[in-house]
Amino acid sequence: MALTSRERVLKLFSGEEADRIPCFSGMGNVTTEGLKTLGYKFAAIHLDAKKMADSAATSYKLFGYECGVLPFDLCVEAEALGCQINVYAHSEDLLYPTIKEKVIHNENEMDIAIPDNFINKGRIPLVCEAIGLMKKDIGNDVAVGSYVLGPFTLAGQIMELNDLLKLSFKKPDKVGKLLDLLSEAIIMTAGEYEKAGVDYITIREMGATSDVLSPRVFKSLIFPYLKKIVEKLMVPAVIHTCGKTNDIVTSMLETGARAISVDQKNDVQESRKKLGKDALLFGNFDPYNVLVTGTPEVVKEAMKKCIDDGVSAVWPGCDIWPTVPAENFKAMMETVKNYRR
Amino acid sequence: MLTEEKKKELLEKLKNAVIQYDEDTAKEAAQEALDVGMEANDAIFNGLVSGMQEVGRLFESQEYFVPELLMCADALYAGLDILKPHVKQLDLGIKGSVVIGTVEGDVHDIGKNIVKMMFDVAGFNVYDLGRDVPLDKFVEEQMKTDSDLVCLSAMMTTTMTGMKKVIDDLRAKNPKVKIMIGGAPVSQDIADKWGADGYAKDATNALKDAINMISALKKLKEEAEAGKIDK
Repeated sequence: MALTSRERVLKLFSGEEADRIPCFSGMGNVTTEGLKTLGYKFAAIHLDAKKMADSAATSYKLFGYECGVLPFDLCVEAEALGCQINVYAHSEDLLYPTIKEKVIHNENEMDIAIPDNFINKGRIPLVCEAIGLMKKDIGNDVAVGSYVLGPFTLAGQIMELNDLLKLSFKKPDKVGKLLDLLSEAIIMTAGEYEKAGVDYITIREMGATSDVLSPRVFKSLIFPYLKKIVEKLMVPAVIHTCGKTNDIVTSMLETGARAISVDQKNDVQESRKKLGKDALLFGNFDPYNVLVTGTPEVVKEAMKKCIDDGVSAVWPGCDIWPTVPAENFKAMMETVKNYRR
Repeated sequence: MLTEEKKKELLEKLKNAVIQYDEDTAKEAAQEALDVGMEANDAIFNGLVSGMQEVGRLFESQEYFVPELLMCADALYAGLDILKPHVKQLDLGIKGSVVIGTVEGDVHDIGKNIVKMMFDVAGFNVYDLGRDVPLDKFVEEQMKTDSDLVCLSAMMTTTMTGMKKVIDDLRAKNPKVKIMIGGAPVSQDIADKWGADGYAKDATNALKDAINMISALKKLKEEAEAGKIDK
């Protein structure tokens, strides 16, 4: 009997044999095609649990994508820590919420505390409610997931990235102290998502890409806190970093994460060699230049390449970009279903 | 008395201050250069900028990463702030003005600031709109300042598409303006497709491209004016 998508993904995480590799993600998966069927505006789906849950379920319902993941933006933890966000309510364009007002304005303000009652701040309760709704809706058919930011990326949300980067070089102890505190906030957030019923959690540490930070700093400054977070998670953890990652894939996996996720800049064949055949390595097609602007034929070839290179799951390098054409999404799912290495 | 030897020593000091991200030394060397009567222009281009070129090389070879790059930029500005009021004439042979900013929805401005720095040292008038800039603002500011060049930056795929809209609007209002785009998700292919005049892989390329573009633009203007006189 054929496996459901849910069974396929859970088997993957538990290391059991399955009929084929899945095509899913731990990052945002909303599409404009999906929003069209619901009649929702993009700016509205970040602030309403039902709309969030409905939107996240559409990629499975319309295209058979093998997961449901929410939220869609990267501001949840920062907002709960006291930042003001902008959802661009006025805009008809696809603008993801950003941080309007940070909590740390300069180096002297870095000694912050986690607000009392943190897990009930901002949209953490809303995301939890949405997870519950999504699970009820599609949770028998697909694995449901959510994501948190990595501590360094979260630090970049609550203070000027410019300052954070310089201080990570000049005053690593001070940055380390902040990352330690943020790790606590991240663990608390992830804990709530687990209670709400997620099957896996992705830790998005994009800020620590080797395009920005040296692998040395990744290892000395960021790795210990990623490890701390992973140790506290109950469900399988996936660590995602984008951009150049070939020099840090081993560290990413050494955090204890069940799987690592990389984008199109990673040489997966090389990573596979480094990590061994059993490590879970997810990736790594370009969600914009392949899935949105490519033809179905281009999409098909890109999926085959991911599989040939040795990914454990076909998974995008970032959020699914909403304007993906329906025929491309379908071509992706068909190829992963039918192609064997 | 400014000997060749002293000059060389000071240029080297400026250069190394940038490479070693040493703001204090950059300030000190810049002041010393002025005190001994060195041309500010010389100190900027053969000292500070030459240091930044080396930094670019170190960045490319992955000896330096973004934190180092930012600290080097601080050192460059520390020297530039002292030297700039004394610049008599820039010998790039071209002067221009530029509107620059990161498009709406995107709050990343590090790349944009590095490119801005290159325009600053080259003596351009820079109108920096900052980050998360509403798309209409680019067109408005270009019209207001009559700038030769508009530079758009986006760090994320999710915001990159806003650049196309700005390009279309700018073209409709002012077909002659030169437009340059840059940022991690941007490629030459995208620049071509969307009709940008230039694509900046990095800050050094951005400056070179910008100078080429403005030269071309000035030439067009001159030819147009010459055409008028003939008639």
